This record gives sequence, C-alpha cells and structure tokens, in this order.
Amino acid sequence: MNTRIVGVVVLAFVLCLGVNACKKDDPRWSNIDAKSKEAIEAKKQAQESGALPTPQEGGIFNAFFPKNEPGFELVASQEKTGFAEYKLKKNGTDLAMIAISDIANNPQAAEKFASATKTIAGFPVVEQGNTATALLVGGRFQVKVLSRSLSFTKADREAWLQKVNLAGLAALSTRK
Amino acid sequence: MSKPIYDLINELPQSGPTVLALQALDYIVPGEWQNITGFENMIVAVTGEIDHGMIQQIGERAITLYNDPAEGYQRAVWLYQTANSIGGKLGAAALANKLGESISFLSFLEHLTPKADKLQAIDFVIKVAAEIIAYAKINGIPGDGVAEFMGAVGDYGKESLMRLAALVCFDGIVPLGPDFLRKIEEYIASLVPNDLESNPAFSVVSSMIPGGSIAGQLGFVQQGFQSIKGWIGNFVSSRGITREGVVGSLKQYIDISDDKLDYVAAFLDATTNYFEHTGIQTIGRRLIERAIAEI
Repeated sequence: MNTRIVGVVVLAFVLCLGVNACKKDDPRWSNIDAKSKEAIEAKKQAQESGALPTPQEGGIFNAFFPKNEPGFELVASQEKTGFAEYKLKKNGTDLAMIAISDIANNPQAAEKFASATKTIAGFPVVEQGNTATALLVGGRFQVKVLSRSLSFTKADREAWLQKVNLAGLAALSTRK
Repeated sequence: MSKPIYDLINELPQSGPTVLALQALDYIVPGEWQNITGFENMIVAVTGEIDHGMIQQIGERAITLYNDPAEGYQRAVWLYQTANSIGGKLGAAALANKLGESISFLSFLEHLTPKADKLQAIDFVIKVAAEIIAYAKINGIPGDGVAEFMGAVGDYGKESLMRLAALVCFDGIVPLGPDFLRKIEEYIASLVPNDLESNPAFSVVSSMIPGGSIAGQLGFVQQGFQSIKGWIGNFVSSRGITREGVVGSLKQYIDISDDKLDYVAAFLDATTNYFEHTGIQTIGRRLIERAIAEI
C-alpha cells in the first residue's frame, strides 16, 4: 500500500481516538433523550390540568431534616422545586446524602414501594442498588439516604431515615 | 438546545492543555479534582453505585432533569461555556486540546497578546458573576436561612473548588500579580456602565445577569466580587499561592521560557477552557446526585 495512504489512515485513527469525532450517538442514552422531552411536556400539561399535583417548593423540606446531631455535620446541598438534599459529614469526610423529594416531580418513583416488605415508623421502605434506602411518606414524599462511604452501611441508612421528621412530612402530605 | 448532558460529559477531554493546566494546580487543592469524563463513569464515581439497573435509571433521570428548561441546568452550562469563551480562543488550540499532545508554548507566542489589566479585571469579575448565577441555577439557594446557605457555599469541593483555584491562579495571580485583588477592586470600582456595555463578553452574558439596567447589572457584578473577595484573599494566603509557585508547577507540564512570563496568562487563556470543563463536571455531579435521590 502506498505509504501516503497508510499515513492518512493512521492520522484518521489518531483524530478519531483523540477528538472523538467519529463517535456516534450512544443509543443507550439517545433514546432516553428523545423520550424525556415528551415526558417533560406531558408532565407539564398534567400539572397544569391538575391531574398531577404541583411540586412543593424545596425550601419547605428544610424543616424536616435532622439537625444538631452531635459529632456529625449536616450541610445543605441542593434545593430545587420539589427537592432538597443535605450532605452528612463526620470529621470533614462525606458519609451520606439525605434527600427529600416530591413524587409530583417523578411519579413513577412511587411504584417501587408497592412491593415493599419492610416499614420504618409505618412507612414503606425499599433498598435500591447497593447505596440507597428509600422511604415513602403519605404516597407523596420520598425520603432517601444514600451512602457515600463504604463505612456507611444499610443499617446506618435506616437509622438516619428515622432521624428525619417523618411525622411532620406526613402532616404536610395531607395538606393541600 | 445545545448538546444533551451525556454528550457534554462524554466529550470532555482526557488530556490536553486544559487537563494539564488543572493538574498543575493539584498542589493547591490536593486530591480535590479528578478529571472524570464519560457519563457512566461519572455516575459510578459520584454515587459509588455499581448496579447496572441503577446506573441506567440514574442516567435516565439525569438526562430528563437536564432536558427540562425550567430546571435551569442548561442555562448553567451556557453560562460556563460563554463566560469561558471570553478570551477569544485560537482555532489551532482547540485541535491541540483534543489531540492531547504536549504543546509548545513557543509555537503559540506569535499568536498571543497579553491582555490589558483592565480587560483582565472585567473578565475576572464576569466569571465570578457567572459562577454565582450558575451556582443558584444548579443548586438553588439551599438551606434554612443565611447561615445554612453560607455552609452550603463553604462546602465547595472537587471540581468546583478546582474551578475557583484556576480562576484565582489563571485569571488572577498569573496575569495581574500578587496584588491582583486590589487591582481588580480598583478597576471595578472605577467602572461605569458604558465600560460593561462595550465589553463583548459582558454583552453576551448580560441577559443572565440580574439588575434590570446596565447600571443595576454593574452593581451585581461589583457586589459579586465584593462577596467573594474575602474568601479569595484567605484562599491565597492559607494555601500559600504565589505567581512563581503556579508558573513553576505549570512548567512541569508546559514548556514555558522564563523571559516570556508575561505571555503565560495569554497562553492559558487561548489554549485552555477550564471554566467550561470543570463547570460541566460540576453540573454533571449535581444532576447525578439529584437523580439518584429522585428515582
């Protein structure tokens, strides 16, 4: 083969590998990308028509997170519509995240609780993957503890779920 | 809409000037920044989750959150991209960045012009304003009251902390010297609305800057700088950041000649996009943190 052609082929490979210019859409995610746009529109219409409740402001959840736990630090992390999250730290190390989210943002998240076999304070609890324990209050608010350190076990997640003011959230779920 | 979030993260370079320049700052924020590229890699790195079904669900939720314009994540990406492109990049630099070859400082010299101090000061404060606005778009205003919010901001780490370190070094101490904060403050205090209006970078990002009028926006930019000035001063002194230290560390990665130090900032400006690179990493991390909590 002509060495110039070989050179061009090699250069093309280098460019592909380095620039990623040859990379096609990743079908695993691109299908979701298209579907998600329809889902966003459908959710918006459902909320406007009243078929789906409007999510609570994230700030309303702040009051229900654990506070003043000796030896631990709870740092506010995110607060978006229907969502609030705190980071749990000890001696400067991240241990876990604690989040409260409004099911109105993502209604199918409630489905997994139908098969829950365990409860905490009377609320259904499920394990998700290897790092998450989720609890559902009043069919409306999902409380989740997510391990961010190997030392933070499933038992720790369940213990911290109980430190969340679940009764307060239950009262909020019955309010319109 | 621009690219989907998985493309933005998949396309982050693994090597090249931006990555090398940021690695050179590791000594300032040791271990904080890992150059996480690839959407799935980021899901695993952020959550520690290895269950395939979970990874897929997290990815799907993150994509949906990003695609909803009302959530503000797209605006944050745009801010990081736009504030980053203030310097005016060299076409050749973009290719060098992606090829990941070691780059020659000297070969770029003829294309470089050191930026006037006043323009550098404006770039600095526009990036600060962009960071503040992007923070609010990404995270909201978390916490119950001012003290908790300050705690949230004080918890800057990982790629966010690296971005601020790079801002301080590459847009502050390297181009303007050790008294960069005082210089920026002087320039910014003397700005009149017309200075901003005639600044091309500002005219692009101005639609995102609160304040109503140009005078109001100038007030926001000035207040933004005032709000972060103390933190930066403390960051510089507590971490012992000097121009010589930063340039010395850069020299491990980039061939810089001692008689051309005035050109280092212009070189970094032309060949790196640290603000966008780490900005996309921050947005990816926050989206993934929220996604795993909401599924």
